[in-house]
Amino acid sequence: MSDGRVYDAHLHLLDRQIIDPDGRMVGKVDDVELASDAEGGLYLAALLVGPAALGRRVGGRFGRLLVRLQGRGEPIRIPMEEVTEIGSAVRLGTRRPPSGLEHWIRDHVVARIPGASVDSDE
Amino acid sequence: MKRLLAITLGILTAIGGFVDIGDLVANGLVGARFGLSLAWVVIVGIGGICVYAEMCGRVAAISGRPVFDIVRERLGPRWGITNLLASFLITFLTLTAEIGGVALALELASSVHYLLWVPLAAFAVWVVIWRVRFKRMEEIFGLLGLCLIVFGVAVWQLGPDWGALWTQATHPAPDGGEGWPTYAYWGIALFGAAMTPYEVFFFSSGGVEEHWSRRDLGTMRANVFIGFPLGGLLSLCIMAATAIVLLPRGVEVETLDQLVTPVTESLGKVGLAVVLIGIFAATFGAALETGLSCGYTVAQYFGWQWGKYVRPRDASRFHVTVLLTILTGVLILCTTVDPVLVTEYSIVLSAAALPLTYLPILVVANDPDYLGEHTNGRFANTVGTVYLGVVLVASLAAIPLMIVTGAGG
Repeated sequence: MSDGRVYDAHLHLLDRQIIDPDGRMVGKVDDVELASDAEGGLYLAALLVGPAALGRRVGGRFGRLLVRLQGRGEPIRIPMEEVTEIGSAVRLGTRRPPSGLEHWIRDHVVARIPGASVDSDE
Repeated sequence: MKRLLAITLGILTAIGGFVDIGDLVANGLVGARFGLSLAWVVIVGIGGICVYAEMCGRVAAISGRPVFDIVRERLGPRWGITNLLASFLITFLTLTAEIGGVALALELASSVHYLLWVPLAAFAVWVVIWRVRFKRMEEIFGLLGLCLIVFGVAVWQLGPDWGALWTQATHPAPDGGEGWPTYAYWGIALFGAAMTPYEVFFFSSGGVEEHWSRRDLGTMRANVFIGFPLGGLLSLCIMAATAIVLLPRGVEVETLDQLVTPVTESLGKVGLAVVLIGIFAATFGAALETGLSCGYTVAQYFGWQWGKYVRPRDASRFHVTVLLTILTGVLILCTTVDPVLVTEYSIVLSAAALPLTYLPILVVANDPDYLGEHTNGRFANTVGTVYLGVVLVASLAAIPLMIVTGAGG
């Protein structure tokens, strides 16, 4: 994303689906991280994914609940260098491990049910 | 030839899969109380679902993004979550009603009390969601649902006074002991049953499950514009059947066995067997669709991996959401609440929530970011906007009418 195109982050980036190179869903653009360059201009540094990032934007009681859900963990931070395409979804150039909660539920609940690893699409 | 067969199969599946417990109850009940004087609402409702299903099917085929992705992206996180809570609750209520409907159909077939069937039915629903291929699941229950054509055969066999039916259908006003408020209330219920939000959640997510692309636009439109109206015709047959048999006797439809009397009286035991298979398939198929839709909406709001096109272990949070939702539905039914009553509330509340779903679809269907050259034409926008107006009126009137009429009593 270094071609210098100007994006309206609010309309074109926030709340879009993030997918990895295989089309698997990584999360939503729950928030973005801005940084400033040497001349003081702001640029988009990273996408933030996770309930804490989302909760801050939702606000109110439900927002606080989401932030608390994340516990001490920080939102997942995806540097803009990993983004290869911004369209109706935001595509990444690299694979990412599943989030903590997905991982935990898979290992402790879903993987224990017979048939969890069978591809029903074949 | 093969392609034609595939399109025919798709259309037949769409017809058989169109009717669910909401349509069964609303059309049966309205036929028995109002004759065909509310039939026009079904036709209006089918027009609405066709217009909006085509839009969200197009968005899903071109961009790969289903309805709740759009809701989150257009309404933002805060309004999105309000929408999610409302949509999820209504879809969950519908799921509960569908599982109850499956159990009631099994009770009619077996004379074993429906509450004993509830856990078994729910378990079967979950197993199918867990293991059966998406496309096969759709086809089996869609095709079996075609058994509901028996309502049409019953109407024919009963040899009704067609002129009188036509008079009812062309006089959109309450008759006899019914007043305008109950007439309007049940009109809104019928409208909600025809345009239930889960239908577009499921339809668009199903498009992603089946890997639609722009080449599938034709097939998708054939399913929507041929399959849905013919499915709606089945609803009208149910309304006509109860209008012919139950309206003159002053019998109201409060249970499923009252709903099937027109069929048993005209076609006997064979008719009963066929109609029970039809009701079972329609409610079971819709239980699958609503169960999956509960998972789809939550996963699509939060951005989790979802869908049956990946192994269950690769969509863990999605599958756990579906499982917990089904379990909660069973718990609700175990309180012995009447499933028919749950159905009635679910369709009226659906009507109240309709704009939440349909407004974001109309907006995104005009966004070239999602659709490129396939954005709405002038016709789709005109019809879509007119329907949005209808949907808003129905939505605003639903709750006040529910209070005024004591839920249609």
